[in-house]
Amino acid sequence: MKNPKIKKYLFYIILFCILPGIMVLFSSMAAFSNDQGVASKIKKATSKLDKATQVEQSIPLPKNIVKATVEYQGGTFFTQARKNEIKRFQCSSCHNNKKVLINNAADMSHADIKVLHGNKGKPLSCDTCHNKDDRDFLVSSTTDKIDLDHVYDMCGQCHFRQKKDWIGGAHGKRVTYWAGERVVKNCTSCHNPHSPRFEKQWPKTYSVPLK
Amino acid sequence: MDSDKKKKINRRTFLKGAASAAIAGSTAVTAGCKGKGLLGSSEAFALEFKEYFKKHYRLMTPTERQQTVTRLEKLAKLRQDINVNIDTTGPAENVLYGYAFNVTRCEGYMECVKACVKENNLDRKSNTQYIRIFEMEHGQMSPDQGDGKYFHMVPKEGHFYMGVQCFQCENPPCVKACPTKATWKEKDGIVVVDYDWCIGCRYCMAACPYWGRRFNWNQPEIPKEEVTTQQHYLGNRQRVRGMMEKCTFCIQRSRKGKVTACVEACPTGARVFGNLLDPDSEIRFVLENKKVYRLKEDLGTDPKFWYFID
Repeated sequence: MKNPKIKKYLFYIILFCILPGIMVLFSSMAAFSNDQGVASKIKKATSKLDKATQVEQSIPLPKNIVKATVEYQGGTFFTQARKNEIKRFQCSSCHNNKKVLINNAADMSHADIKVLHGNKGKPLSCDTCHNKDDRDFLVSSTTDKIDLDHVYDMCGQCHFRQKKDWIGGAHGKRVTYWAGERVVKNCTSCHNPHSPRFEKQWPKTYSVPLK
Repeated sequence: MDSDKKKKINRRTFLKGAASAAIAGSTAVTAGCKGKGLLGSSEAFALEFKEYFKKHYRLMTPTERQQTVTRLEKLAKLRQDINVNIDTTGPAENVLYGYAFNVTRCEGYMECVKACVKENNLDRKSNTQYIRIFEMEHGQMSPDQGDGKYFHMVPKEGHFYMGVQCFQCENPPCVKACPTKATWKEKDGIVVVDYDWCIGCRYCMAACPYWGRRFNWNQPEIPKEEVTTQQHYLGNRQRVRGMMEKCTFCIQRSRKGKVTACVEACPTGARVFGNLLDPDSEIRFVLENKKVYRLKEDLGTDPKFWYFID
């Protein structure tokens, strides 16, 4: 059976009914797949980048850093060293069995250090962190020696959440470069270990109203 | 024959006269646009004249880019007696910059704002700032409820601080609004402005839902000794009156592998900057392990700037 009328209008049926339908379908698919967004770009980027080709410039490693004993996301990283920052290190140059003159006692004592660390009812004492038997080291709660450069092992015993964030990169920050070898600040680069909370201060500048 | 020759000479002389008149006319026009100081040095004027006829940054060949950089460096030397170094480093492969801001850690010290003003050669006269820190009460979510002009001892009890700047949207409304294509998104995700193609219509400023763009209402004034001399063509080079500018994630630093000035200045480590395409980067750790949110996400601008809490 051949109806010439249907054949005549078939072209218009396709043009006005089927084609727009297909177009709407395709455009909605494009809208929902969202290939251009940041989220999809991040999802696609799963392979590790070659550190050498990341940024063309060769980035120099800063001085006074140590390789951390922990790994982050499967790789090693560096952190700022602490020992050469301390004025009177080595501690054992005074803390030994030699006798001390009473005249020097005022200079040699640590009376300037105020410990504002720990709970109010239960503040920390020097011996909580410092090793009594070997003064050049810190001591963990399980009486292991901890090097002063690797102080994050000490702090991380209580502040384990912060340590986890620090290893990953959500706490603390990188030193100068986002690219190249990962070098991050140590706990003691920003916090005073004896009084770790940041103090109140005036803002460094001010903003004028926008409107 | 004789009359023909005469006619030819006439035409030639006419053309010569017309050309010299055109040059004189354009000279008068350009002289009228600029201040008197430039007319003092003919070398500066010649450079300035050439600068008027350069192409859009994206259409320039590497040689043309080098020529305009040389001109701009010479002009900075002649105008202000500063030795600047303008570079045109392009985007690196496999890099997409992302930023995260820890609202729990920020204490509102504003070190970032100070560092940003210094690094990006922002106008000291009108106190232009790219970053704005809002003091917000606990429970508030949007910075328009917060106080953006606080000045007292910080941190204040019961408050948290939220920094706002250009979010370098992946789908930037400002780029769509620009009638001269003077602003665009680079391959590494930074939205930049070609200051010489901006006509100062401020459509982008109106289009931005985050108030991320700043307009130069006056000729920017920076003390000579405070100018950051390491500059980028699309970043912190000298701007003039009547142009739009914005945060570029410190393009002159980030393209060299450095963190932005605000990240480096932050004393509390509330700011995280890195490559979104690197699965080992800090920013990726934050996105995967922290509770993150973006400002006005429902607008579909897809900003590359996340807020997170500890």
